Amino acid sequence: MTTQKISDSPIDFAEKIIRDVKNSKEDGVLKCVQCGMCTSTCPAARHSDYNPRDIIERVLEGDETIIEDDCIWNCFYCYTCHSVCPVGNSVCEVNQILKQIAIESGIGYDKLYEYMGFADSYFTAAIGAIPERFFADIDRDVPGWWDFRQNLDEIRKELDLDPPLMPSREVIDEVSTILTITGFKDKIERIRQSEEDENEERTD
Amino acid sequence: MKNVPTKDILLFRSCLVSVEYPGVEASTKYVFDRLGVDYEISPKQTCCTGLGHYSDVFDQIDTSAIGARNFRIAKDEGRPNLVMMCATCYAINKKSVKLLNKKDDLRNHINQLFDENGLSHLKYEKDDLKPTENIFHVVDILYAKKDEIKKHIKYDLSDYKIATHHGCHYCKVHYEDTIGGVRDPNIMDEIIEECGCRTIGWYDHKRATCGTGFRQRYSNPDLSFTATADKMNAIDDEDVDILVHLCPNCHIQFDRYQHLIAEREGRKFRAIHLNIAQFIALAMGGDFDKVIGVKAHTVPIDSVIKDLKEVGK
Repeated sequence: MTTQKISDSPIDFAEKIIRDVKNSKEDGVLKCVQCGMCTSTCPAARHSDYNPRDIIERVLEGDETIIEDDCIWNCFYCYTCHSVCPVGNSVCEVNQILKQIAIESGIGYDKLYEYMGFADSYFTAAIGAIPERFFADIDRDVPGWWDFRQNLDEIRKELDLDPPLMPSREVIDEVSTILTITGFKDKIERIRQSEEDENEERTD
Repeated sequence: MKNVPTKDILLFRSCLVSVEYPGVEASTKYVFDRLGVDYEISPKQTCCTGLGHYSDVFDQIDTSAIGARNFRIAKDEGRPNLVMMCATCYAINKKSVKLLNKKDDLRNHINQLFDENGLSHLKYEKDDLKPTENIFHVVDILYAKKDEIKKHIKYDLSDYKIATHHGCHYCKVHYEDTIGGVRDPNIMDEIIEECGCRTIGWYDHKRATCGTGFRQRYSNPDLSFTATADKMNAIDDEDVDILVHLCPNCHIQFDRYQHLIAEREGRKFRAIHLNIAQFIALAMGGDFDKVIGVKAHTVPIDSVIKDLKEVGK
């Protein structure tokens, strides 16, 4: 049996999503008629338990436990649901907002551990590089990829590409400042601390 | 059709293009130069945050603040028309412009942070840029110039079986601005026709995702590759030689992982993968190493394109 936490005002949850800065669909979520067009065209629904129609149903019921549900992490962000919705809702955006709520509350921290490299590369090079912790997997799955990466400078030179990959110190500093004043850097430190704490608990 | 600029363009550098398929940038420049498109690249412009954003690491305020900085650079350089080589950069930047114009709270908050921290020169004023009038993908520019493409075609690629994969973040995110169809996307098919070729047009799963799903490829590879297999099987059923892309992330998913997915499916997949700019540059006579950048490709380009036939010969 699944337990649901339904608040006194179920609509509050939907309204919180509507107010989120990421929402570009105004009150689209309230217009959902549960037609299921999103689910019928969704690649994650085709191949997993992910169900976009059900996500909106739970949001409209005020079921905030949805942020603890692992299935929300299966969305591909392909925006197919967003592009076909007959009432102008976007489950894809709602999903992203739910995940940010999960992250703010700490519930979603562990989903980000593997992706901290995206944050680090911003502070060191102002670029969104694939995190190094995936390199071993890529090297195993993609023959020749590591050699190619070692020769990247030469290949770029042959293509006469300018400017170089690494921005100037001034640019990196400016970007680092921006990501500090938005609160991003603090958030990353909290997530990293949480991972270290979990690792310590495991070894204790 | 919406008005598409061919001048005052800032060609927006993409992280994935830069480090995975640099030939996409070289080919875009090669084709733009031949078509007389007025563009420049700025060393000050930084990554859109897209990969981190869609892995849920960056929230909207982080992404829009970085966006505001890049938009300021474009304005200051007198190149307010941002043209993206990557579908995700396109979707991310268009959304940030929309939100910064529409949401006063977001814009004021970011501007206040800039003011308080010595970054006043980066402030974004409402309507500094317009989402439909200033934010484009390279395919939009190629489409606007498509009548001129045929004048520059050197090689006849019409004997190859060609299909297109239209990236979701070009077609579906800002569907009101998409040229050439959303549910039945055809912008690249129409551009390829100007190279003297015909694509196979519609195929099963044509409008579907590449399966990358950002975090899915790394954290959930079974789900990711199962979704990709839907499309790869459909493409192989049609016996496609060349799949043409407009997004480096889709490009990675197909080119880098084709042999792995073939093993999973117990099939042999043979298509090569070219970005639309690489395809046109090839047809215009671009050198394999100096323009197309074939060394970056996992599925060898010469496994399909063995020799080139000049038009009319």
